[in-house]
Amino acid sequence: MLAGRILVVGGGTAGWMTAAALAHKLAGTPARIVLVESAEIGTVGVGEATIPHIRHFNATLGIDEADFLAATRGTYKLGIEFVDWGRKGDSYIHPFAEFGAPIGGVPFHQQWCAARGEAGPFEAYSLPIQAARRGRFRRPDGDPYNYAYQFDAGLYAKFLRGYSEARGVVRREGKVIDVARDGESGFVRSVTLEGGEVLEADLFVDCSGFRGLLIEQALHAGYEEWTHWLPCDRAIALPCANVGPIAPLTRATAQDAGWTWRIPLQHRTGNGHVYASGFTSDEEALRTLLGAIAAPPMADPNRLRFVAGKRRRQWVGNVVAIGLSSGFLEPLESTSIHLIQLAIGRLLDLFPTRDWDPLDAAEFNRLMALEYERVRDFLILHYHCTERDDSEFWRHCRTMRLPDSLAYKLALFRERGVVVQYREGTFLEPSWLAVYLGQPVTPRRCDPRAGGAGAAAAMAAMRAGIAATAEAMPAHEAALGMPA
Amino acid sequence: MIRDIGIVGGGVAGWMAALALVRALPGIRVSLIETEGPDWSLGPFGPAEASLPDFPAWLGDHGVDEGALLRAARGSFSLGTAVSGWAAREADWFLPFGTIGAPLAGIAFHQLAARIRETGRALRLADFSLAAVAAAAGRFARPSPDPRSILSSYGYGLHLDRAGLAAALRAASGLEPAGEFNRAIVDGAVTAVELRDGSRVVADLWLDCSGPAALLASRLDQGWEDWSAWLPCDRVVETWIQMEGVPPPHAHAGAFETGWQRTVPLAGGQGGALFHAAALLPDQPGAIPLAQGRRAAAWTGNVVALGAAAVLVEPLHGWNLALLANALARLIGLLPAAPGGPEPAEYSRLAAAEADSVRDFAILHYKTNGRTGEAYWDAARAMPVPEALRRKLDLHASRGRVPLEDGELLGADDWIAALDGQGVRPRRYDALADAMAEPRLLDHAERVRTLILDAVRAMPHHGATLRAEGLIA
Repeated sequence: MLAGRILVVGGGTAGWMTAAALAHKLAGTPARIVLVESAEIGTVGVGEATIPHIRHFNATLGIDEADFLAATRGTYKLGIEFVDWGRKGDSYIHPFAEFGAPIGGVPFHQQWCAARGEAGPFEAYSLPIQAARRGRFRRPDGDPYNYAYQFDAGLYAKFLRGYSEARGVVRREGKVIDVARDGESGFVRSVTLEGGEVLEADLFVDCSGFRGLLIEQALHAGYEEWTHWLPCDRAIALPCANVGPIAPLTRATAQDAGWTWRIPLQHRTGNGHVYASGFTSDEEALRTLLGAIAAPPMADPNRLRFVAGKRRRQWVGNVVAIGLSSGFLEPLESTSIHLIQLAIGRLLDLFPTRDWDPLDAAEFNRLMALEYERVRDFLILHYHCTERDDSEFWRHCRTMRLPDSLAYKLALFRERGVVVQYREGTFLEPSWLAVYLGQPVTPRRCDPRAGGAGAAAAMAAMRAGIAATAEAMPAHEAALGMPA
Repeated sequence: MIRDIGIVGGGVAGWMAALALVRALPGIRVSLIETEGPDWSLGPFGPAEASLPDFPAWLGDHGVDEGALLRAARGSFSLGTAVSGWAAREADWFLPFGTIGAPLAGIAFHQLAARIRETGRALRLADFSLAAVAAAAGRFARPSPDPRSILSSYGYGLHLDRAGLAAALRAASGLEPAGEFNRAIVDGAVTAVELRDGSRVVADLWLDCSGPAALLASRLDQGWEDWSAWLPCDRVVETWIQMEGVPPPHAHAGAFETGWQRTVPLAGGQGGALFHAAALLPDQPGAIPLAQGRRAAAWTGNVVALGAAAVLVEPLHGWNLALLANALARLIGLLPAAPGGPEPAEYSRLAAAEADSVRDFAILHYKTNGRTGEAYWDAARAMPVPEALRRKLDLHASRGRVPLEDGELLGADDWIAALDGQGVRPRRYDALADAMAEPRLLDHAERVRTLILDAVRAMPHHGATLRAEGLIA
């Protein structure tokens, strides 16, 4: 029998995504889902950029794309543009697609590397990048690229609340003031709300954000800090009006002690600055952000503090942490919602039964740790592989000691252009290639098969075909049904 | 920069390597040096090779005509392996080349099956696999390319005479052997190979396809990982039985009191091998010693060990050709751009992960055997297993999930089929399967079963297909 009484502690994006997915997947079982949230506790959900997996999440729940975009004032996203990372003045885009196509059985990037600059920029071989550079968008129709969304996460949570409540999820308003645990097993038995109401459950999903009300404050899961690799520990969010065309892109611009984001939605642009307090002050950080936004701010700055890392165990006893309660990786690669989605998927795969086999938690923790570490390595790559020498922050990042897992991957690419493959993971070979070659990390040597007759002509034909296809796409606003 | 590649060993492994290199690396000179003795380049596993379902595509990619190869190598088709006597003395199961059942509302079929069993109904997974049902009925036709058709739910492997296969690969490569191996000249690396006629062949990179003897790799050795603690067979006898009639469209792995017999049916006979432990079944005529394991580093210096020179594991299923094909693709993708680069280490890391995954799949058959009261099998059941396999067994026992590591050769479906076939039953099924109303569940299973039976009834007999292709009279 499954653990049927489920209490989700905390609303926000993580809480409502969890409630919605469980309500959908557990329909027809005796499961009863309650979500408790307090209007007094703010959620972090600023503008949210995502990666394409969100489309699968929505599709599984039967959510129509047009309804979703209208409800969340969402826009399409073809990738992330990284500005000033490897060198000031540089720009590259990480798309959701492969680059080029193999020539003569040789991987495309090896052919491109062998051409040593004779074959134009790497991004000329990506249709989504060429479309994004032109401000254009078309949903792929059998084309080999994918897309994601940029949307208002607060509106998304509201949308999913409606979805969940329509499917029987019960919402309780109130602040949790006490957690009762079983003396013997240590399992959480109930939480008490301000006002005295006691909510019991079999399974507790902790979506309470950074503080980890259940997973940390009650169960002391512990936290593994990664600040020595990812020194950014604060952020300021600040929306402004849209100026000019709405880009089908999230932009991440490197600053002196961190980076600023720009996420264009239909009705506004989300901006923010992620920075390292060890290398700059809060005032300076705000000045940097104000200097980076395209229009006057529409709200007061929303300040956040965090510590890069993850809970040592994200599932302890009968508590599963999802969202910021499970760990924090800065949104440089738009992974926050994806990590939520992944945890929900794993929880459903390993959905507990009343006998609470500890293997469920052990496997969940193993899989989530692997995923967090792989995303972590991918983020560190952006900071470490730079020529920037213009601030203490960048000198630190350039010279820091890497995790062994990343050092191995990087060495193999530097030496020979080989991308280390793995079976499961958020970012696969094309993503690593986009960032390696964008920063840029140039392989010293490439595949000895590369080059040869016809390679240059084949590449020229690919470039031309991609440019023409991108040129023929409609403007992003038109694809959204908005006036241009 | 690599300009010359030398291959030692003119069997299936050597000629398959030659063909792959000639096609992928037109600028490189390839020399193949033959060795004496029987072709054990993939292991001394009998005169017939069985492949997994990826092999027909490999042949197509390398310009080998499947029909011509089948005719030249007494070939027939395979829909999987029948595994008898392992789960229990009288029990058998089938590892199909295709899907088993179909998921319902995102819940895997084997989880649905577990719930159906809980209602007291007996159920065999193989009954829900088109490949397994067709194999049992002796039917075969090539699958349909239409993904909507149930006839696309399976693939097929080939059964081929070893000598015929090697000859066809040689012909496709267009190479002539450079001569006969006499000895390797080694000075830190293999600097040259001396031929019988006294002449020498030099190359920048050597591929050791000489089988368990590993004529080159053993000279630069970083050691051999011994798997005998888990795979107790240390002797093998190659077998051949002349037979008329239609071969069954599947291979067979049949366990007996002190080992097991491999059978690979061809047109006109059955190739095979008898695997056993010398301590329990001594003095078998023709017994060949078998040291199962793998080379610690498949690529050391300028020598890459391929086939049985790299990994020697009993062929419970037809994975030896797949291991070799993957090794060749990996080698071509990691061809050194300059000396001293990272390619050998990365190659060896990937090769080891793949070999170990196959080892674990083989060990599974022993560890979960149901032949109680027989010393050989009781000991196998009691043995500790490698860590990665332990985790698979534990998680499967807990709730029917099999976690895959990076670089595994076999898929989750294969593991599920093998575990289920061996009679291993998880303690729980997927909690979400409870969401399914029982009639809906039974109806789904019934629909799948009916679709399969109808499709198999409409399929030609294996013999008719073989006759139509000119493979049997």
